[in-house]
Order: sequence, then structure tokens, then C-alpha cells
Amino acid sequence: MRFECGQCGAALSFDGVRSTLCPYCASPSIVERPASSEKPDPVFACAFAGDAAWARVRLDRWIGRRMIVADPALRRARVEDLKGIYLPAFLYSAVARTDYSASIAEHYTETETYTKTDEDGTKRTETRQVTRTEYRPLSGEHLGYVTDVIVSASAGLDHDTFARLEPYDLRQLRRYAPALVSGFIQEEFSRGADECLRVSRTSAADAVGDELRRFLPGDGYADLDWRMEVQWESLDPVLVPVWVLALRYRPDRPPVRVVINGQTGAVVGTVPLSWWKLLLLGLGAAAVIAAIVLLVLYLREPPPV
Amino acid sequence: MSAGATCIRCRGALEEGDLRCAVCALPVPAPPASAERHTRAQVLRCTDCNAAIAFSPAHQAPRCAFCGATMAIEQLVDPLEVATERLPFGVDRDAAVASLRGWLRRRGWFAPKALHDEAVLESFTPISWAAWVVNAQATVAWTADSDEGAKRSAWAPHAGQLPMRFDSLIIPASRGLSLEECRLLVPYYDLRRKEPVPADGDEVVESFDAQRSAARQHVQRAIEASARNRVEPHVPGRRRRNVHVACLLQGQTTSRIALPAWVLAYRYRGAPYRAIVHGQRPEVVFGRSPLDWTKVALVALAVVAVVTAIVIAFLAA
Repeated sequence: MRFECGQCGAALSFDGVRSTLCPYCASPSIVERPASSEKPDPVFACAFAGDAAWARVRLDRWIGRRMIVADPALRRARVEDLKGIYLPAFLYSAVARTDYSASIAEHYTETETYTKTDEDGTKRTETRQVTRTEYRPLSGEHLGYVTDVIVSASAGLDHDTFARLEPYDLRQLRRYAPALVSGFIQEEFSRGADECLRVSRTSAADAVGDELRRFLPGDGYADLDWRMEVQWESLDPVLVPVWVLALRYRPDRPPVRVVINGQTGAVVGTVPLSWWKLLLLGLGAAAVIAAIVLLVLYLREPPPV
Repeated sequence: MSAGATCIRCRGALEEGDLRCAVCALPVPAPPASAERHTRAQVLRCTDCNAAIAFSPAHQAPRCAFCGATMAIEQLVDPLEVATERLPFGVDRDAAVASLRGWLRRRGWFAPKALHDEAVLESFTPISWAAWVVNAQATVAWTADSDEGAKRSAWAPHAGQLPMRFDSLIIPASRGLSLEECRLLVPYYDLRRKEPVPADGDEVVESFDAQRSAARQHVQRAIEASARNRVEPHVPGRRRRNVHVACLLQGQTTSRIALPAWVLAYRYRGAPYRAIVHGQRPEVVFGRSPLDWTKVALVALAVVAVVTAIVIAFLAA
């Protein structure tokens, strides 16, 4: 899609995005269009908590904490293409009813008789308390609301990376309005609602599974089997803020892609490691362990008479 | 949103400013769009000076960089909770002081003999402390261990499900009173006498301990704690442990109320103490009071002497 900038008339490309900044006059433009099933209108959006300088502070802190193992060139890396993007996502909630069955572990103690051989070879019978476990079957239903499940609807950011960026504080949600995203890039929805619904159900099932494990009685469990049935599902298009950038740390290496949660400042990226730093750390750790072992051996050795 | 609107999923009451249901998180439908839209690119302009506007993270609002004007965006109204109803005081200051005096007299043998006569009342503060009043229906799934059906272990697992109603469940949100103090006061309030908080009243009504967005977790935890207590009699057997509940709430309504109590501070031989008198039932009094450590030491010595005598007698035998 191409439109003219409403300020200076320059041609603007809106491929995969719904809002952009004019490269000539920096005016923020937003595409107004009817909603469709492929490109729904967002219902809610979380706002950016800070500007580009705020994101740089989080990035510098993140790099600083990783310098002990990172390539030294990362310290002087050039930040390229730092962009504030409203990422498309779907917000899922439902009523979950889960049938479960499990073997519940119940501990009990028994007095056990055993034979002990002394240093002089004499055999003695003694008793001791041992903890044993009895497994009892249990089945039932767990129920509750599954709320606040968000999945990425951007083909450019996979679900795992998005999961590492979470959580977003959904108490700060606002009703979507074009003015909220003006000045930032609003990415279009590039993953379908059906795919996001499947991913949401998987996330919901994981959340219910965690809850179910806490819900079970006893001292432990085994053979947990459960089947979740969801009702009253809702899947709403939302926008969440991220800062995306590329760190070019060496001219002969590909840049590192870093994504920053625009609300909490959580940073996700893969740090290029320095092998000689790792080697030195490993050698240092081995030296410390060896020193402790030697010290223990020295202290256990009987003093010379 | 119209007054009295309810969530279509859980039938919980929605409040002005809610973007999502506080119980089940279902989004509140947006108001219908005003006009048909055509595909076009537009620059949002400031209504004051017509310059382009962009969202400013520093101001958390769309802002004109030229004239500094900001625009409002609909967001969750998240005020500090405020009571809209109250229970009137049924105990006046004189009755509260009399209750405290009576309570000091009944402090028991370990209290100083002169406590009633020498305690100096220092302050009498009427407080209207904050609480949520919740009504809801719920289906409660539960699991627990009990001695019913136990074999080698003393415990056997059980599970079940119960329908439950929570009528006028009072959930403390007080800043000034501790949770334990609130718990002791709650059973004696008569909510039938509640009335709206007068707009021009001079009575000090305590503000809530949480904002609306955080209230959901408070209320949910309190409902689960209440459900856990009510489930226990339904667990078969005489002994039970590991009682867990999962609640599916329906039709929840939450109101905010101020409940009356007197906080009385008194001093005995230089040390300060605090007592609470119920604002509706003067016989409900509790608090801290001094101990006569000479009596405590004498009793401890007597116990030690008796135990020593029994041990000596046992050894001699």
C-alpha cells in the first residue's frame, strides 16, 4: 500500500504496517481502513512506557550484565534501526473445565528391622523408621477462568521470543485509538486468528496444568492425566509495545537482533559469546574447586607426631 | 457503559470505567463506530494548532509537540477505591469508654490489679474502616486428604464439587486496622443498616488499601479462603489436610462500605496500649493489655516446682 504524506506529499509505503513516520518531514501517518478478518482493528493497546532513550538505558544495562561472557566488541556495538513498534497480538480468555485423574502419593512411616555388622564382626539387629509411599487413585474436575493469555500475531516475532518478553501489565490496557500509536510503527496482523487461537489454547492448557498440579492433595503425584474443555472463549486483537533494534558489533558478523518490552524494559536477545572469556572462567572455577578440595584434604590429614 | 451492566460470560457486575470484566476478564464491548470508514492515510492533527500529534510516553497521552496540548484516551479508570456506603455508629464515645473500662476490669488474674484504676485513656478515635462486600455464586471444586478410607498411610485423597453462595461476604481493605483486628470485628456487623455515605458528611471515611485494578486479587483470595473454610465440613472423615479449592464465580457484585469501630489508646505506667471497640456492638472489645510479670513468674516457679517434685518422686520410686 502506498499513500501520500498528508504533510509534505512524499510517497509513503505501508507494507506490513499501519502507521509510519514520513522520512522527509517526520509526520506520523496512520492508515484508516475498514476492519477485516485478516486485518482486524485492535480492541486494546498497552502504551510505551518510555522513549528511545529509555530503551537505550535498558539495552546498555542488559549488555553490561552480560559482558563477563560476551564478545568484548559488544561494548562498542553500534545500535542500528532502533524502532518502537506496536506489535499485533491476541488476548485470550475462557472458562476452563478440566477432568483429571492421578495417582496421589501419601507418605507413611514404618519401623524396619535390619542387621548391622560391627567393626569386630559382631552382628546386631536394630530398627529404624523409614518413609514409604502409598499411591491412591483420584479423579475429579477442576474449573476456573483462564485470563490474560497473550500470543504474538506478528510473523516477525515467534511465539517463544514473545513469551520471553512477557509479562505485560494488562491493568494498563487502553482502548485502542489511532492517536495512541501515532508516532510509532503499528505492525499489521500477519498471523491469522485461527493459528493464534490454537497457540492460545496451548498456553491456556499449560497454565491450567500448573494450577492443577498445585490443586492436587497428597505428598506428591504420578500418572497425572487431564483433558481440558474450554467454553466461552474470547480472542481479542491487541497491540503491545516493543523496541526492536540490531546490534552491529563486528563488520564481519551478522548483527544481533534485540527486542525490548516497551512497557517493562525486559530485554530478549542472544549475546555473542567470547570463547576465551568462557575458557578463563572455566579455568578459574576449576582452580577454585581444586583449592577447596586441597584445603579439605589438608585439614583432614592427621597432624605430624 | 450503562449503569447496572453485567458481563455476558460470568454475569458479574461491570462498573463505570471497566475495559474488561474484573472477574473473568472478558472485554467490555466498545461503543459502535460513528461512521463508515474508507481506506486512506491520515495525519492526526492537534485540535488547537493543527500540527501533527504523536503519542508521548513521558506524558502517557497523544501530545502535540508544537503547542503541548494532550488528548485523552479511554483507559481503565483505576482510582483508589472509595466507600459508597457505610454502617452508622451505634456506639457513642461514652459507651465505647465504658466498654473499655469494663474490658480492663475483666482482664483476668494475670493482669495488674491496678490496671482498671491506673489506666489513662489518651485518645478515642472513631474510624470508618474500608471493606468490600461481595455477593456471588460459585461452583467450587475441591481436593483434600482425610483419614476416611485411609489404608497404610494415615491419609487418603478425596475430591468433589459444591455449589456455593457468598452472601454479603465482608473482605477487609483497611489501612489502619490489622487483618486480625478486622477478622474479629466482621462477624458482629449488621449490614441491613447500611446507608449511602453522605456527600457533605464530616465523618472521616478511611480510603481503601488497594486500587481497583488490584482489588480483584484481594477479593479472589478472600473468596477462596472463605470457600476453603466452607468446604472442610464436606470432606469425609474426622481429620483433614491439604484442602485446595478452585472457584468458578458467577454473578459477582462488589460494593464498597465503611464499617464503624472505636480505636482507644490508653497508657498504663508509661507504656502505650491499644484496644478496639466494635462500632455497633459495645460488648465486642479486644486489644492489648499489660501483664503482671510478678504473677507470671510466680506461676512459672510453681509449675517448675511441681514438675521437679513429680520427677524426684518418680526417680525415688
